[in-house]
Amino acid sequence: MSAEAGLWLSFILIGLATTLPRASFIVLGNRVRLPSVVQRALRYAPAAALAAIVAPDVLVVGADFAPLNPKLAGVVAAVAAATFSRNPWLPFIAGMTVLLGLRAMGG
Amino acid sequence: MPASSFREGAREGFRAFLPLSVGLIPWALVTGMAMISTGFTPAQAMGMNVIVFAGTAQLGTLPLIGIGAPLWLIVVTALALNLRFVIFSAAVAQGFRGIGTPTRWFAGHLLTDGVFACCLEKMLKVEDPRWRLGYYLAPSVWSWLLWQSFALIGVFAAGSIPKHWSLEFMATIALLMLLVPLARQRPMLVAALSSGATAIALRGMPLRLGLIVAIVVGILAGFAAEHWHAKGEAQ
Repeated sequence: MSAEAGLWLSFILIGLATTLPRASFIVLGNRVRLPSVVQRALRYAPAAALAAIVAPDVLVVGADFAPLNPKLAGVVAAVAAATFSRNPWLPFIAGMTVLLGLRAMGG
Repeated sequence: MPASSFREGAREGFRAFLPLSVGLIPWALVTGMAMISTGFTPAQAMGMNVIVFAGTAQLGTLPLIGIGAPLWLIVVTALALNLRFVIFSAAVAQGFRGIGTPTRWFAGHLLTDGVFACCLEKMLKVEDPRWRLGYYLAPSVWSWLLWQSFALIGVFAAGSIPKHWSLEFMATIALLMLLVPLARQRPMLVAALSSGATAIALRGMPLRLGLIVAIVVGILAGFAAEHWHAKGEAQ
């Protein structure tokens, strides 16, 4: 198999490894019903997944737990903007400004 | 049932998702640039982008492809990175009641973190299946278009956007904007805090398995908090 063909094969397999988990229960639907306890528990999946992705991204620098960093300041600014304003773009502007501002100051 | 309920749902879903979708842009740009720096041609990069359509799985497997890792390891890594979608798929499955199987495959292929977090609640509550389908597909197709367009820009801009702009931080902010309204409910906040702390504690686990453990811990903690909360109200 040529390197080119091998690369496209890996794309297709990664694609399957993505679409099958995504489509799994959406396609199975009523044929496989999860118990209602599990369904209620799964309502917490989005909050848990979002936190699991965001927390290490913001609070870990390199390999170390280092909560006081410019990213955390940017996050605080973004959350404050979201809390005190209804403008949907403001959190992005506030967060990026604080992050880049602190980095420019050498923080 | 009015024929326009699909369009009504689509309009509402698009409106709810539009501000959040801005978070996809830096990811798509970064992914496009990363594929080129792995050594792909623009055609290969866009091929992967269309076939896989998943930032985490793409960015996570690129280093392995780059070093010529065995195919099985690449696929297992992609599966581990995508396990969360089994949870998402199960959680949103009831939202597709009354919708045919081919459409379900299409919808499943387009399932992303952002659309899931944005659409879940109404998908489970609203009765009209056409409205639900519109509400889900409009943000999903919009995500697909944004993802392909900005990855393409990233492919051709590779090398000319300074790295110190930290554009990927916009994706972090977008995820937070999804989290903040959820975390106003006490058990959701408990789920988020437990999950976040676990993810940090287990960040050293291989294949990002710590992420999966953290999600499970967060779900269990939220569920437990809900029970204690309900007990407290009853007394």
